[in-house]
Formats: sequence, C-alpha cells, structure tokens
Amino acid sequence: MSLPAGDPQRRVFSVSEINRVSRLLLEDSFTDIWIEGEVSNLRVPSSGHLYFALKDAQAEIAAVMFRSQAALLKFRPENGLQVTVNGRISLYEPRGLYQISVQWMEPRGRGALYLAFEQLKQKLAAEGLFEAARKRPIPALPRRVGIVTSPSGAALRDILRVLERRHAGVSVLLAPARVQGEGAAQEIAEAIGLLNGVPDLDVLIVGRGGGSIEDLWPFNEEVVARAVAASRLPVISAVGHEIDVTIADWVADLRAPTPSAAAEMVVASRQEMLDRVAGLTRRLEQALRLRAARARSVLDRLRAAADPARVRERLQRVYQRLDELRLRGARAAAHALELAHARWRAAHDRLQPGLRRERLQRNQASVAEQARRLAAGARRLLERARTRHAEAARALQSLSPLQVLERGYALCVDPRSGALVRAWNQVQQGAAVEVRLGRGSLDVEVRDRRPPAGAEPGDDRMEDA
Amino acid sequence: MKKRAREAPDDLPFEEALAQLEKIVQRLEGGDLPLEESLKLYEEGVRLSRACGHRLEAAERRIEILERARDGSLRQMPLAIDSGEE
Repeated sequence: MSLPAGDPQRRVFSVSEINRVSRLLLEDSFTDIWIEGEVSNLRVPSSGHLYFALKDAQAEIAAVMFRSQAALLKFRPENGLQVTVNGRISLYEPRGLYQISVQWMEPRGRGALYLAFEQLKQKLAAEGLFEAARKRPIPALPRRVGIVTSPSGAALRDILRVLERRHAGVSVLLAPARVQGEGAAQEIAEAIGLLNGVPDLDVLIVGRGGGSIEDLWPFNEEVVARAVAASRLPVISAVGHEIDVTIADWVADLRAPTPSAAAEMVVASRQEMLDRVAGLTRRLEQALRLRAARARSVLDRLRAAADPARVRERLQRVYQRLDELRLRGARAAAHALELAHARWRAAHDRLQPGLRRERLQRNQASVAEQARRLAAGARRLLERARTRHAEAARALQSLSPLQVLERGYALCVDPRSGALVRAWNQVQQGAAVEVRLGRGSLDVEVRDRRPPAGAEPGDDRMEDA
Repeated sequence: MKKRAREAPDDLPFEEALAQLEKIVQRLEGGDLPLEESLKLYEEGVRLSRACGHRLEAAERRIEILERARDGSLRQMPLAIDSGEE
C-alpha cells in the first residue's frame, strides 16, 4: 500500500469510517465468544449499564454490559471476581475504543450450573418451546385459577391479597408444592400435571417469591420446563422478582414479573371484559334505538302522506303556491317589460344626436348613390338615343332622293317654280327645265313632249294637283 | 353450535359469547337491516350481553387446596390461610 499520493487507487478513510469498518469487522468475527478473566475497575453509573475491564496477568480488555443484560444476572459483579463472560467484540466508535459487549456473565465457581442453564435453554429453544407461536392466550375471564406454589410462601399470600383487593370473582385451587430445595422441581412438575386433570380450571399460575439463585433453581430445571410445555391449561409463570428470569418463564405462555403481577393480569383482564361488555351493551341499545327511530320517522312520513285531509291540504298548498308563483310571474314580467322599455327610451334619447348625424351621413351617401345611378341612366339613355339617331340617319339616308339620283335617276325641276316636273304637260315645249343628277345638274330645253302611251289627251289634271 | 348458542348463550364459552355479541353490535350499527331482523338481532344481543354479564358477576370465590387422601385419591378442600403478617 505504498501508492504515491494522489494515486486514484489509494483509499483514504475518515476516522469515522475506519472506526465503523473496524467495528463491523470485529463484530462479524467475534459474535459469540466466551472470555475468562478478573473483573476490575467496575463502574455502575445511573444508567444501570456496567463498565469494567476484564484482565489476566498480562493484558486487559474493556467491557460493557448494558442494563437489559445486567438485569438478567443472578449475582452482583464485584471487582476482583473471577468470571466467565459471553458476548461479542465491538468497538465504541466515538472513541475508537475496542471492547467486549457482555451478554451474559457467570462467576467462575458456578460456571457449571450456568452452563447447564445455557445448555438447557439452547436445547429447549432448538425444540421451539420458547416460540411466540406456541404461546396460548390467557382466557379473558378465568373463573377458576390453579396455583402451583408453596402453601406457606409469600407468593400465595400475594396472589390472594390482590384477588381480594380487586373483588375479583375468581376461585382458586392450590396444588401445593415445595418451591425450593432438593426434589422441589419434581413436585412442581407433578402439581402442574395434577391441576391439568381438574376439569373446571381456566389458567395456571406457577411460581414463588424472590430468593437467591439457588432458591429459584427448581424453575430452571428441565422437568419443570417440560411440565409447563405439556400443560393443557395456559400457564402464567411468576418466579421471584422482576430481574429473575428462569427457564420456566421462557416456556410459560405468559411471564409475570412477580406473583402479585400474575394475579393482576388475571384480574385486569376481567375488568377489561366488564368494560367491553358494558360498552357493547350500550352500543347494542343505541343501535336499536337509532334503528327504531328511523323506522318511526318512516312510519310517520308514510302515515302523513296517506291521510286524505293532509293530501288535500298539501295539494291546496301546492295550488296556492302555483297561483302565487303565476301571479308573481306575471307581475314580474310586466315590471320587467316596463323597465326594459324605460331603459330603451333612455338609451334611445341618449342616442338621438348621434342618430341624426348618422342619418345625414346615410342620406349623403344615398344622394351620391342616386347621382351615380342617375348619371349611369342618363348615359344609357344617351347611348340609346345615339343608336336610334344613327339608325334614323341611315334610314334617312336611304330615303334621300339624292341617294336615288346616285343610282342613276334624275329629277326634273321647273326652274321658275322650283316644282318637280312629274308629267309631260307640266312644261311647254321649248321651256327650260333643270335636270338634277346624282352629281351636278343640267339646264335642258324641252324639245318635244310625249304623253305616256295610252293616256287620254286631255289628262293634265296632274299638273294642278 | 350456532343453534345451541341461540338457545342457551349461558352455555357458550365466555369468549365466544363476547365475539358473537361484538358481531351483532357491528351488524346492527351497520344499519340497513330490515326492522324485524334488527329486533331479532337485538334480542339475541341482549341475551348474550346478559350471559356475559352473569359470567362476569359470578362472584364465586372458593379458595381450595388439592389434598391427597390416605388412599392416595385427591380431594379439593377449603384452604384456610393465615391472613399474612409475613
């Protein structure tokens, strides 16, 4: 790892990181170890955790035992005590302090007993006797409780006192058993068996008051554990004081920290049941009352609806209302009309000057339009006149005698009167006449006169006409 | 089982009577049941409630001890306790 500085492959840890990584390494490698040594430098702050060192002739290791674990100890650790501890190696990250976190501790002299306890615990755990799924519920309302304990012990008195104080309607059947000393475990197991043969019991309390670890020992024996596990009736264990946990506690369906607490659990559930039944009964009645009220209101409505007088009355009310509405509607309409009219007037009046101006403009536009149309009409008339004139002129042209002359005819005119000569006898022989041609004219002397063929000689009336 | 429950709720285990009572209350509170059925349910609820009540009030407080007779048989005998100075 002698990589040069700045080498991207060089891994740099922060202090927190290395402590964390080290802790994980340590915790993974030493999860469940036993260490033998002497307790020294023991401190017990108010937190209840135990801080000490384990040492031998050459070395020492820091140790911590947290309160929850320390509470399970049956003895009080002291400086100078030779102990065997079970736990895991850990590292207190804030201070990089390497230590053993102690789960269990036993004095060296009694190591064998504790080991037996541990071994039994592990064996039963392996069989599944401690599993939560095995735990049976404590009946909500035990009527008769079987108790396994000493008839002369504090445990029985504590239990009865609690039942008395709570006025619980619970009967008790005691199966006496010695709870300490040689043969006690056997008696306890037997008593559990006997009570299981009694038909009207609901639950068992098995236990004793506090004492030394040796005193409690019967409850750590396999025969008791087996009897508890085999019990048909649910078992509440109640051994010693809070901190004393026995194998029987592990196997029981419910662990009470003390015998009094076991009695409280039985009674508390009864009180809870009383409350529950009372609550349910209240709700039952309320629900029915509600349902009945609903039914009644439906009935009332139906009855009211079915009464002919009521029906007529209601109809009349409806008609009256209709009339009223109609009247009000008409009035409202008239009023609205008036209002609208008034508004129209007002608006109209306000519009007048503008209106006039507008009309003027409109008229001017109209005049211009009329003029334009007039002009157009005039143009059209003119055009038509012109055309007609041209036609007339053409027609005139064709009628013109000059036109005829152009074709080779000639006009004969008496130059004195200017009259056209139409008949032979209109002029005298030898007279001068003018002959007008298409182009120019001739002064001609009449050499001869010839009446038209077949004409009567005296027929000269034409001259006078 | 159900029929028996209807006839004699007193014979029901307490937990079962309580569970039935709970179910009835919930159905009744759910509304929308015909009136007649509501009434029937209510009556059954009242019976169950009474049964539960009786069981709760039953203040039998025998305190007995299992004693082995000379012939080895077991007897349940009243237990006399010193009211416990210690």
